[in-house]
Amino acid sequence: MAAKQRDAATTYSPRIIARTRPPIFKDSDLDWTRPDGRGFHQCRPALLQTGAVSSASGSAYAEFGNTKVIVSVFGPRESKKATSYSDVGRLNCNVSYTTFASPTLGSQGTDHKEYASMLHKALEGVIMMETFPKTTVDVFALVLESGGSDLPVVISCAGLALADAGIMMYDLITAVSVSCIGKRLMIDPVTEEEGCEDGSFMMTCMPSRSEITQLTITGEWTTPNINEAMQLCMDASSKLGDIMRDCLKQAASASDE
Amino acid sequence: MEIDREDGRTPNQLRPLACSRNILHRPHGSASWSQGDTKVLAAVYGPKPGTRKNENPEKACFEVIWKPKSGQIGKAEKEFEMILKRTIQSICVLTVNPNTTTSVIVQVVHDDGSLLPCAINAACAALVDAGIPMKHLAVAICCCLAGNGYVVLDPNKLEEKKMTAFAYLVFPNTTLSVLPEVEGEPVEHGIITSVTHGVMSVDDYFLCVENGRAATASLSAFFRKHFQQSQGPSSKAG
Amino acid sequence: MGLPDSCQDLSTEMEVDAFRRLFPLRFFERHLSESLRPDGRPLGKARDTNVNLGLVSSADGSALAKIGSTTMLAAIRMEVMTPSTDSPDEGCIAVEFHMPPICSPTVRPGRPADEAPVISKRLSDVISSCDMIDLKELCLVSGKAAWMGYLDIYCLDADGALFDAALLSAVAAFSNLQIPVVALNDNGRIVAINGDGEQENNASITEKEAVNKEKRKLTLKNIPFSLTCILHKKYILADPTAEEESIMDTLVTVVLDSSDQIVNFNKSGGSALVGSSAIKSCVELARKRGKELKQILGDMDID
Repeated sequence: MAAKQRDAATTYSPRIIARTRPPIFKDSDLDWTRPDGRGFHQCRPALLQTGAVSSASGSAYAEFGNTKVIVSVFGPRESKKATSYSDVGRLNCNVSYTTFASPTLGSQGTDHKEYASMLHKALEGVIMMETFPKTTVDVFALVLESGGSDLPVVISCAGLALADAGIMMYDLITAVSVSCIGKRLMIDPVTEEEGCEDGSFMMTCMPSRSEITQLTITGEWTTPNINEAMQLCMDASSKLGDIMRDCLKQAASASDE
Repeated sequence: MEIDREDGRTPNQLRPLACSRNILHRPHGSASWSQGDTKVLAAVYGPKPGTRKNENPEKACFEVIWKPKSGQIGKAEKEFEMILKRTIQSICVLTVNPNTTTSVIVQVVHDDGSLLPCAINAACAALVDAGIPMKHLAVAICCCLAGNGYVVLDPNKLEEKKMTAFAYLVFPNTTLSVLPEVEGEPVEHGIITSVTHGVMSVDDYFLCVENGRAATASLSAFFRKHFQQSQGPSSKAG
Repeated sequence: MGLPDSCQDLSTEMEVDAFRRLFPLRFFERHLSESLRPDGRPLGKARDTNVNLGLVSSADGSALAKIGSTTMLAAIRMEVMTPSTDSPDEGCIAVEFHMPPICSPTVRPGRPADEAPVISKRLSDVISSCDMIDLKELCLVSGKAAWMGYLDIYCLDADGALFDAALLSAVAAFSNLQIPVVALNDNGRIVAINGDGEQENNASITEKEAVNKEKRKLTLKNIPFSLTCILHKKYILADPTAEEESIMDTLVTVVLDSSDQIVNFNKSGGSALVGSSAIKSCVELARKRGKELKQILGDMDID
């Protein structure tokens, strides 16, 4: 204990991180409410803003409750890793977290490889790749603070940033997730809810075309639950799409003046 | 008035300088430079074709690789690399060899204070040895500010630790020819690079600059003498 | 291309934007000769600056600083460490500066920017050498436990004068820092006694006295402020944008503390040399800027 090297000094957070299920979520107890007092089918208030990063071709900031995300889009620009000619464009995605994004994550703010590939898959169906042959569009996301439903927020924010950058798309893209706890379905879950969910459902879709570009379902789900979750996501997506459209219109009218 | 130094030097006295060039066979130019016990080896490769990404291909590009005596390269070494690179870029003629890269590798042999100035001097000698076109030489000096307001030049490691603040200063070498003055000052009075650590008043900083500038005259003379000497006999190497 | 005379004739018929891209230096010099910069600022004026505090709820202290469009988000997380034997009653501050790929088109994922470690190093040098924070205030139990402050600064938008903005956000984050109230539990570990998860703890802690009841805020003794200037020929431009930095390469960063002492005078290379008069003008500009920034931070504390 006495002779400890400065380098070897390890640190710990004084906050105790609850790893057990919060007692409020019990199947028998039907009166429980969500941690932030929302209704089960109610999304968190969304704040969207374009043009957050001046040096990017397009960028957007999204804040859903405590989840705060910035996405920058660069390009279309010269492909860095390109080995062969391609007559369609390339898409390159990266998602990283700040070191302070969440208290449970620890001090390592790192690249999130899984989210990056999910983001790539969600976006590739909506972007008109043939409009920028031989070049690459880079979509980089930084999660400033993680408050649950990170990936859907990143995807929606990326959709807005792409629109801001003027990249040709078939439609806007929105993503919404639903958690299933016991028999309850709750849309847009926060971290605590995600921590004790029985199943998760995330859908990325093009709201005006009602087409799905990505659907992931994990955990325990019954068929009626899936149908209900899908309906919830569709409704929420079209609302989110409207908000995004308003946001883009506002930005456009502001730049006209 | 007098300030005692462990090794009996006067405040403005530098440690014995030593320089030898063309000591390595593979690089295009090499030099070792020592100030007292601090010794740095520099090697120059290039100009090689092509520039790195994010560099201007219309100009000659430099890269600096810092090799510490032992262990991994950390943030401090990264800072040294950046300072050295910027300093070299400012003294070399970049338009002669556009779209080329010249690598400067700096190996620390022993660190006994004033490491960065020593490395800058070594790199400079190695660039001359490699025949890279340069506008002028750079001479680097470390000025320490002792607690009682005196300036001590070229400190060793022990002195560096005791001092309240220090500044690494790089000046152009004093030239023999007549050059136009910049804002009423001779060109060699301008600072190429300045890095400071610790808190000092503005007047103290000027004191450092003044003392450092005075010392660079003797450093410049050493450079000149060395290059003139080695030009004759060692030309067999070229 | 690029002959000084060829652009002279072209400039009359060329569009301003095209001229700016093809002959950036000419474009800037023509502005400078009118003592004006392309964004409408006089030479010695910094861009609009604002600071917002406490934006990151998961951190103990945070600040967002904006100088023009350069944006920095700084956050501090406090963790507990065992102090080293040679300084048993001192805590520690670890500074890390990040440039994520979102901030600039030149940064690519997987390859960290060259500037990031250099700015990190200079920030931690400045913060430690100017005695802004008394590390003794970070002591919890002498020899047993002390605070380790992790200061992470993220560059969200890189548009020049990165060091200035990073230092401003760091200072603001320290002024926003709320040290959590903690107590020593039976196992010799330090635990938080309010906030999240208190009911999980064993009952033994609630009886314990808080170790740091009155030490909730750090006193910032000496606040450093920084100003970066570009030297170009006889002109001195304060607070450059990324475009200006890329065209004119001589940058001088001056950091002054509350009593106008030099904490850092940094110039690395560049085509112009600094003489005594230029040093004086840069220090003078930095002094004025320091006053401005002090005002901005002062206004914020009242709210």
